[in-house]
Amino acid sequence: MTESARVVYLDNGATSWPKPPEVIEAMASAMREQGANPGRGAYPMALAASRVVFESRRACADILGVPDSRDLVFLAGCTQACNLMLKGLLEPGDRVVVSSMEHNAVTRPLHVLSQQGVVVEVVAADSTGLVDALDMERAVKAAPTKAVVCQHASNVTGAIQPIADLADIAHENGALLLVDGAQGGGHLDIDLAGLEVDAYAVSGHKGLLGPQGVGLLYLRPGLDARELTQGGTGGSSSEQDAQPQGRPERYEAGTPNTPGIAGVGAAARLLAVHGAEWRAEEQRHFRMLKEGLLAMAGVTVYGPALNEPSVPVLSITHDTIDPDRIAFLLDRRAGVAVRAGLHCAPWAHRTIGTLETGAVRFGVGYATTEADVRTALAALAEVLA
Amino acid sequence: MSGSEPRPFVVFGFDSVHDTLAAEDVLRSGRVPAVTIPSPRELGELCGIALRVEPSAAPDVEAALAAAGTPARARATILDR
Repeated sequence: MTESARVVYLDNGATSWPKPPEVIEAMASAMREQGANPGRGAYPMALAASRVVFESRRACADILGVPDSRDLVFLAGCTQACNLMLKGLLEPGDRVVVSSMEHNAVTRPLHVLSQQGVVVEVVAADSTGLVDALDMERAVKAAPTKAVVCQHASNVTGAIQPIADLADIAHENGALLLVDGAQGGGHLDIDLAGLEVDAYAVSGHKGLLGPQGVGLLYLRPGLDARELTQGGTGGSSSEQDAQPQGRPERYEAGTPNTPGIAGVGAAARLLAVHGAEWRAEEQRHFRMLKEGLLAMAGVTVYGPALNEPSVPVLSITHDTIDPDRIAFLLDRRAGVAVRAGLHCAPWAHRTIGTLETGAVRFGVGYATTEADVRTALAALAEVLA
Repeated sequence: MSGSEPRPFVVFGFDSVHDTLAAEDVLRSGRVPAVTIPSPRELGELCGIALRVEPSAAPDVEAALAAAGTPARARATILDR
């Protein structure tokens, strides 16, 4: 038995696993057959690499509801996308309204920006992690605001935030809506143009099912975010010292991660075909897990009520056994892979009341089975007995 | 080495590799033959890629690209083999 064969993988909030075979093959093919640098030559292999990037961008744009794929930028991860979104758009003196559920990918860039003179107003979510749009509106109206910053879904409780309402609130008050969509991509049916967000950061390796090392940032047409990195883009204007301002090159200086981009493109093409079916199965297995956890004595489940919308992530604590101990025993006794701790989201844990203890997070994915859920629940019951 | 004589072609340059490949897609869909080549200096570029077409096809290319919303940034005539 291989190490991976015995794993009941429920850490899909961190990264999805296993990756679809098509993703792995696309990455291998990119290295094997399209291994030249994309955008840097006109010989067949270089053009093939360029087309891999081009077609992957279009495939991702299709499943995210982005009409013009040039508005979707490939980066090295969602954290980089969040950094570009925030540092590229905010300036000293700006005021932002942000939810208390944000991940460190947002809070740490905001911390740096606050030291440079950006005013950060935090609005508390409720104990399930849900942000009240009216609370956000009150905060926005309290003073001139440059941007509303909010996640699409919580990486701790699974709560889905009212992004469409927040877009209206932001725009009615002359502000931008900047969204960390790390837990949204792939798990939710997303139409970014329809949501009218101004910027939206996506992880390539979570619900989108691609490999680690790829993230995407959507910038609505005309939004002038400063690029954070300058360098070679391979295409036009090589003779100029100034960074080209056209999209997507402006934000993609340096050699791109072609194998990773090939993988996320292959994943996007799969999601275009199977996404609705996979999301339905994820939700069915997630509900099964949540029902089982809610029925366990001594267990507190952090997340929206059973019938409320949620991405397939939740956290739990136990009355007497620490989260790290639960995670360790689940792994040792039954090969159940979950993550204990603060999940890089101390603000969120402070909001739901678990900052001191942390919590155990379960994340269901497209490949999770009923047997996985039953195994995890039985193992947890034994650990807690 | 080829012994063929240079003859005129029309080349189209775009703002980015992305735009060049998008234009290539448009032409492919319209069955307009185009060859992807390194950008010639006549386009004002020494880097990147461009599309080369027969002069007789150039009006159709411009019309197709304009209709698709992907017009070329620059056009030039070059001698090539």
